[in-house]
Amino acid sequence: MSLRDTIISELQSTVRDHGGTALPQLADQTVLLESGLDSLGFAVLVSRLEDELGYDPFSLAEDAFYPITFGEFVRFYEENQPS
Amino acid sequence: MKRTSLAELVAAANAPVSPILFMDTGSWTIHALRATGERLPLSHEQRSGDVVLHLASPLKLATALIALDGTANRILLLSPATPLHVTRSLVASFESSTVLTDEPDRLPPGVQAVPWTDNGLLQEPADPFQSGGRDTLWTFATSGTTGTPKLVAHRLASLTRTIKVAGFGPNGWRWGMLFDMARFAGIQVFLQGVLGGGGVVLPNPTAPLGEQVGTLVRQNCSAVSATPTMWRKLLMTTESNLLQLRQVTLGGEIADNSVLSALAARFRNARIVHIYASTEAGAAFSVVDGQAGFPASYLDDPPRGIRLRLFDRRLAVHNEAVLPEYVGEGSRFAEEDGFIDTGDVVERMGDRIYFRGRENGAINVGGNKVFPEEVEQLLLAHPLVASARVYAKASPITGQLVAAEIVQVGGPIDDSQPLVADLRAWCRETLPPWQVPVFIKVVEHLAINPGGKIVRGSS
Repeated sequence: MSLRDTIISELQSTVRDHGGTALPQLADQTVLLESGLDSLGFAVLVSRLEDELGYDPFSLAEDAFYPITFGEFVRFYEENQPS
Repeated sequence: MKRTSLAELVAAANAPVSPILFMDTGSWTIHALRATGERLPLSHEQRSGDVVLHLASPLKLATALIALDGTANRILLLSPATPLHVTRSLVASFESSTVLTDEPDRLPPGVQAVPWTDNGLLQEPADPFQSGGRDTLWTFATSGTTGTPKLVAHRLASLTRTIKVAGFGPNGWRWGMLFDMARFAGIQVFLQGVLGGGGVVLPNPTAPLGEQVGTLVRQNCSAVSATPTMWRKLLMTTESNLLQLRQVTLGGEIADNSVLSALAARFRNARIVHIYASTEAGAAFSVVDGQAGFPASYLDDPPRGIRLRLFDRRLAVHNEAVLPEYVGEGSRFAEEDGFIDTGDVVERMGDRIYFRGRENGAINVGGNKVFPEEVEQLLLAHPLVASARVYAKASPITGQLVAAEIVQVGGPIDDSQPLVADLRAWCRETLPPWQVPVFIKVVEHLAINPGGKIVRGSS
């Protein structure tokens, strides 16, 4: 499964587990906080992805960054993947 | 000597024609707010007594504060977002029968309310505006160091101690209100704006954060105070790209270097400050160098008006301006020598002091406190749970998250997923969202310390 697919699947199950509303189609331009996640849900997603992928770019990245769109979020994980 | 009222202080800090409150629906001068305040649906006797302000509208709360400070004996700022049973006990310990509310439905039955609905104002002023010159006590609910909020009284002098009062005219920053204005942190922002000369922007508190930020942009907000969690969320809104801030203030949670540097990168013209304050200790000190923690030199050479001490590994604060006991209980929270044990654990590394969390093990999820014992009790009430440990899991987004380990009655099973889903639903029935464990692990046994207690360290 590609990194992008893993993120989509974890995002969907996080929304489901937290009683969120149905997910719109996820596009690069989708604003994260409008994807069915509130900030608590977003925190859970980042934590689950850390379990799943073995890293957390928010703690690793030299420059702190808070993505606005889904596309930025995926890119942030791609760019900060440990080699 | 007659004490200067808030209305007088605000009038001195702002030109008569300059609005001090800004919303998308209009703006208000001190004169307009005073005129409305004279028509509050309260008798002269009620105005000079003890008044509970149960107002969801920040505009109404501001109006009432300006009308009643200097006139009332005591006021209690009670957020209508407070759960009903807490509201009941706080109103009882405040011992007042005057509850001014714009949300009568969010008061528990039996509490007599003075409703301030949209047409609730008196036709004519009750009596001409006059400042009684009283030292009105402002009473706040704590965020719950022991689970149940208590009441702490402040004087206007202690609330305004760290605020720079403007000379005259619009020279200060215009502050944006993202906090619940009835809480201690919200009132700090309000006073800073109306006394600093730039005013306060009041977004609709029930709107999504992006819309609130949109209001801040449209109303030329230049300063915002929020918790680190709120800041991280704010940075993720598209509207935040349009914010032109000169002052960024963080408080209420540990400010880490990553949120501090992200804010510095986004708001290049802003001064970035994190403050240490609590309802009990008041506004204690601020840190302006943009780094996490605070300089160890503050211990010997503290910022004006306060003293700091390390007590064991906990930070103690001495703030002369705060009354040292809880209202209605008579129990002191300050030591005999005036120091307040904040319960915040700190660690010294070189010439810097860093915050490490709460001494009582309370978990802080984005500024909301969670007491692990309370969640453990709930898990233990489930028929399939034999023992439970609730602990904090670090999160780069909310600071911490709630996690739990449980031992199942009858020993381990192959597939724990159905039980985990059931436990999550079980918790969601009674707990607010941030208290529900987001990670639940079924384990064979829990770690126990030499004292026979569950090991509570965070991971």
